[in-house]
Amino acid sequence: MSTDNKQSGFKRILIAIIVAALAMAAGIWAARAVLEHNSVQDELDATRFPEAREIASFSLIDHNNAVFDNSVLKDRWSFIFFGYTHCPDVCPTTLSILNSVARKLGDLDEDIRFVFLSVDPERDTPEQLAQFVSYFNADFIGVTGTPEGIEQITRQLGVLHIRAQPEEGASGYLVDHSASVFLFDPDGRYHAVFSPPLSADAIAGDFKKMLQAYQ
Amino acid sequence: MIKHALITVILLAATSLAGADSGLQVSEPWVREAPPTSRVLAAYLTLVNTDDNTVTVTAISSPDFKNAEIHRTVIEAGVARMLPVKQLEVPAGGQLMLEPGGHHLMLFDPLRTLTAGETVTLIIHMNNGKQLSATAPVIRKTGEDHSHHHH
Repeated sequence: MSTDNKQSGFKRILIAIIVAALAMAAGIWAARAVLEHNSVQDELDATRFPEAREIASFSLIDHNNAVFDNSVLKDRWSFIFFGYTHCPDVCPTTLSILNSVARKLGDLDEDIRFVFLSVDPERDTPEQLAQFVSYFNADFIGVTGTPEGIEQITRQLGVLHIRAQPEEGASGYLVDHSASVFLFDPDGRYHAVFSPPLSADAIAGDFKKMLQAYQ
Repeated sequence: MIKHALITVILLAATSLAGADSGLQVSEPWVREAPPTSRVLAAYLTLVNTDDNTVTVTAISSPDFKNAEIHRTVIEAGVARMLPVKQLEVPAGGQLMLEPGGHHLMLFDPLRTLTAGETVTLIIHMNNGKQLSATAPVIRKTGEDHSHHHH
């Protein structure tokens, strides 16, 4: 009886010690995780989420008519920019910046995807996008789809896109759209966002820091 | 560097066309070469006013395109919008830049294929009835070259 009591007493103390040790370890781990997240964010121009966000399913097609959905995002880092091919100022400027980013990150041992996602599916066919994106970089991917498909992803990211009312006598219409660049990690999660004004140096530098923190 | 020198030469050529009495000069005009599918190109330049009075630009046209409009890109809360601009005021002794992400000239429907190395004629119309002509080179800018337009 008394031996049993003694033993269970020991057991309780032992459990208490283990629990305390685990709690302490968890506390340290959590604190370090928080500190680490904060210190990474402090060094960034980009907005990085402490916890990358899962994205609900969406289904689109790329410029080769292949399916582009959540599963495609799950193998490497992806930079996504939303725009349209009839956009003469912001979109070519941003794709040129992303091409510089691609070159700056070329020495990394990472397969990185750059996506131009159309918010003007009416005019941006896969064929149109193929010519548009490859003008900037042969490896860039153009993505389009149905208005519903595009809405599935833009709504989740808070990407605004509004067809502007054409001016009297204007040739075609303009689309107001988000000028930010969105980063997805190899888990297919929304990892960070780069807001304008964009710079290739800042994006490449931030990406390297985030890559280090991710590994 | 060569590109820069070329632009300077073109700039000098452009400004010499200005005429001493217009009060306005054009520096560094250029047209962004567009991807093959695009029917809309953007042109950029700096308007320099050497006059004692404000110069108002009412339009910029081009005989190489069907239509041209002055626009301004505005980024508000992360959203880029392009707004048509009725006229540009160039302050006395000052300048006004048309540059990527800001004021720019939209050129619609080129009348010939325009690739890098070719030139486009731009005509700047002022409210005093004067006109100024500038020759803008078409430049390929895809992030491979060093941009001289970033300050």
